[in-house]
Amino acid sequence: MLLEKEMKLADVIHHDYNLVPVINRFGIVLGFGDDSIERICNKKQIDIDFFLTILNAFHDPQLLDTEFLQSFSANLLIDYLQKTHNYYLSNKIPEIESLIEYMISECVNNKDSYILLQKFFEEYKKELVKHIDREESRVYPYVIELDHAHQNKSISGSLLSKIKEYSIASYEEEHDNVEEKLTDLKNIIIKYLPPSENQKNKFKLLKELTILEKDLHDHARIEDLILVPKVVLLENNILQNQP
Amino acid sequence: MSKTKKVIVVSNAFLITSGIESLVLELSGMLIDTIFDGSEKKLCHKIINKKPDYIFIDPDSVSEQLIPLLRELSEETEIVIIGIVSKTTLPNITSRFSHTIRKENNKHQLIDELHNIIGNNNESVEDSELLITKRETEILRNLALGLTNQEVADKLFLSVHTVMTHRKKITRKLGIKSVSGLTVFALLNNIVDIREVERSI
Repeated sequence: MLLEKEMKLADVIHHDYNLVPVINRFGIVLGFGDDSIERICNKKQIDIDFFLTILNAFHDPQLLDTEFLQSFSANLLIDYLQKTHNYYLSNKIPEIESLIEYMISECVNNKDSYILLQKFFEEYKKELVKHIDREESRVYPYVIELDHAHQNKSISGSLLSKIKEYSIASYEEEHDNVEEKLTDLKNIIIKYLPPSENQKNKFKLLKELTILEKDLHDHARIEDLILVPKVVLLENNILQNQP
Repeated sequence: MSKTKKVIVVSNAFLITSGIESLVLELSGMLIDTIFDGSEKKLCHKIINKKPDYIFIDPDSVSEQLIPLLRELSEETEIVIIGIVSKTTLPNITSRFSHTIRKENNKHQLIDELHNIIGNNNESVEDSELLITKRETEILRNLALGLTNQEVADKLFLSVHTVMTHRKKITRKLGIKSVSGLTVFALLNNIVDIREVERSI
């Protein structure tokens, strides 16, 4: 279903519960009454076209409008991507960590196996943090610098040499690695971890990991299909305008 | 896993094309490649160029082209042609298709019909094929101890290529790709001991 601005946000959330974390990233919290998407965006001063495009992309991956999304400013796009990172690091990951912690504390037999699971998750977390750090300290500032240079039609020598050295191609590969470990983790839980006394928490853990997996996947898609082509476009534009 | 089968649909009716798409999704290993609406010039040529495995044809969408189209396509013996017919389709049309599915059928019946035509693609996997072999266990153990592909190869007198082939097999059987994931598996199954792993780190 294509989500449109006249719809009530409450109906949208009824229809697709997975969008709750997405609207949270835009600063919308539950308890918004019967307001339409348009009204809520106006109140919160959210760019409504951008909001709808992102919402639709998460709701139905086939509705990802790459061309339209590339037309948004780099600042808007990166601000959103950073908020998503923040959601992973400040909400989702700690939630999963404390769930695993709790599972270990409840465990009578097989405690060692669950400690192993914890170690694996910690390693996964390290990798995710490293990836996010790299994006925020290197990739995003570079994109903003490019966008700035493109708009002002002025380019510094240092940016020019960065364009020539930097390769955005390695970027997509890293996303694959981050996703891969999460799949491993799910397989370990589903197939190989010995049964625990408390199945309920195991289900909960699996559910949280599946939600994180989907969110990360949609996030990586936005980066790979929107941000990367945008960078390539900006780079080419700038290089062509060089005397 | 067998190769993915390419499917082409010829119909200008949205309800039919989206119905076929959702039906094909129910069967593993099949992928809709192209949808033609039936009015294309040189349709047969275009279809053959795509080298599909299966074609679904809605005869209502290709009224005049249908008979020459079927004649030409039937020369491509590799391609399975499936007609989308109904009770009201004229018998002389229905009979031109070697395989048909019926519009008025429910989902179960349609899947049965398709299984009859294309066979059941879900190859049942023998349990024994999912167990890792002695050799694979040995490689898994060394990877868990922190050895690289090259080091495993040197230690076991194998080529790196062979080690990688084994690794791919292990990953396919277990559903685990990363070294740390494989290490967890090895520890859970007592292929290595936690003290050995810690020492190697």
